[in-house]
Amino acid sequence: MRPEVPMLIETARTLRRDIFTMIYQAGDGHPGASLSVVELVTALYFKVMRIDPARPDWPDRDRFILSKGHGCPAWYAALARRGFFPLDWLPTLRKLGSPLQGHPDMKKTPGVDMTTGSLGHGIALGAGMAAAGRLLGKNYFVYVVTGDGELNEGIVWEAIQSAAHMRLGRLIVFVDHNGWQSCGRVEQVSGLRDIAGRFAAFGWHTQEIDGHDFDQILSAIEVAQAERDRPSVIVARTIKGKGIPFVENDNSWHKRVPSRAEYESAMKHLSA
Amino acid sequence: MARTIPTDTMASTRDAFATALIEAAAADPRICLLSADSLKAARATAFAEKFPDRVFEVGICEQAAVAFAAGLASAGLKPFFCTYGCFITMRACEQIRTFVAYPGLDVKFVGLNGGIYGGEREGVTHMVFEDIGILRAVPGIEIVVPADAGQTRKATLAIANRRGPVYLRIGSGRDPVIFDESVGFEFGKLRLVREYGTDAAIFANGPVLKRAIVAADKLAEQGIKTTLVEVHTIKPLDVDAIVEVLSRTGAAVTVEDHNIYGGLGSAIAEVIAERAPARLIRLGLRDVFPESGEAEQLFDHFGFGVQHICDAVRRLIMLKG
Repeated sequence: MRPEVPMLIETARTLRRDIFTMIYQAGDGHPGASLSVVELVTALYFKVMRIDPARPDWPDRDRFILSKGHGCPAWYAALARRGFFPLDWLPTLRKLGSPLQGHPDMKKTPGVDMTTGSLGHGIALGAGMAAAGRLLGKNYFVYVVTGDGELNEGIVWEAIQSAAHMRLGRLIVFVDHNGWQSCGRVEQVSGLRDIAGRFAAFGWHTQEIDGHDFDQILSAIEVAQAERDRPSVIVARTIKGKGIPFVENDNSWHKRVPSRAEYESAMKHLSA
Repeated sequence: MARTIPTDTMASTRDAFATALIEAAAADPRICLLSADSLKAARATAFAEKFPDRVFEVGICEQAAVAFAAGLASAGLKPFFCTYGCFITMRACEQIRTFVAYPGLDVKFVGLNGGIYGGEREGVTHMVFEDIGILRAVPGIEIVVPADAGQTRKATLAIANRRGPVYLRIGSGRDPVIFDESVGFEFGKLRLVREYGTDAAIFANGPVLKRAIVAADKLAEQGIKTTLVEVHTIKPLDVDAIVEVLSRTGAAVTVEDHNIYGGLGSAIAEVIAERAPARLIRLGLRDVFPESGEAEQLFDHFGFGVQHICDAVRRLIMLKG
């Protein structure tokens, strides 16, 4: 185990508490999808990314795009814990006047590098950022987290094609492969299979990992960073609702607000 | 009165755009060009030769092109995306709205084949007569419809110097010359093209302005004195100046190469309803699908001919009483 992993595990647990609390207080949100990306977001924001919370617009910073914008409570919690904005913003999620919109808004939230929420756009947006970085002589990386269900969108494959053609080696995409979309199992709803194989067919460098294992996440990122001549995808097998037993793999938690009893039970579990 | 060209001279708005973009890009290293296999249609191969690193070819995928442009702009570049207006504003409508206009990113859109005139022989699939209405409904994006090639060049330079999203509607490359080269272009301001009198106002833009000029001149010879106004900037609309014209004339005809819903006619109707009561007749495509044909014939066939404009003005004057 890498020496930083215990810290990352503890941070992930904190983010999960923040996420469930935010959704409980907002009375709205997507717990399942937020919880499955926690380790990916934690690894990026607390170990990997070259960022400066005091300068969210720093031109040389690494970029992050949450293509599955509905998972943004995880991103907001990470940004707050990392110091981009005060923790007391978190309870304002989805409320009138809040800088924390229901889906990410780059104009309202410090540290949000790109507006998202309408599914399927992260890779195209990220490809543009990576291409701009190359033209401008920057060496930042662009990290994108996309859902698996949103790979149904045609624009995803348009962008996968272009990014490979342009050899955007500094574009690193994670697929949060939790196996579910709104109406059911990804395989059942849309027939999507062999995600890595599909990316590979377009010329991408591919890896498959356990998306909740920090050692695997960090190693995969290092391998992807070394791949300079083509974009990389890391298909991260995850559990929707990970970390709260009664939420895990129960798709009714795709969009659902916990009752008080459920909230307290989750907090107890996450504090243990 | 703005100096206009009486002859049937033609000049390409596409070439004018491409030339102006080279000029703008030479002065501003942030300017780059997005192509959805549309480099040739945009007449931008010379741009690509001059600035090879600043052309991003994504292939035939307008949605990804717009999202890609948003990514470029977020990192400090100033991308222009040029392809057929129908594919920009309809296929990539949501990408424009959510990823460019909403975050206010500095992306410029240049729509070719504007109107039925621009699409002419291509037919409905490659025409666009809904673009202005669609984009007027989107907050945070500016809309310009230059009259001709010379104005396209100046409008391109003008929008290159603006921050934020803009849609520029141009034509097929076979576009009538309307204004003398000495005529300037002031973003956001209407232009009085003819000031014969206050019997009625005629509001027009784009290539169809040529016909409105002919109609206004012809009417003047017959003693009917109109004020002909070019509204090249549809958003932001020069509302106060429009109110001033309407308060003088009390009657208006709008002439546009667009469906009568959502475009210039609707914009003027909104000003009339809220600020300056006046009689109004809207000329444009009357909520029907047009068809392939020669551009000038299409205008006549679908109701934007010189005679249609003259008849509308006469009818208005009768209605005014």
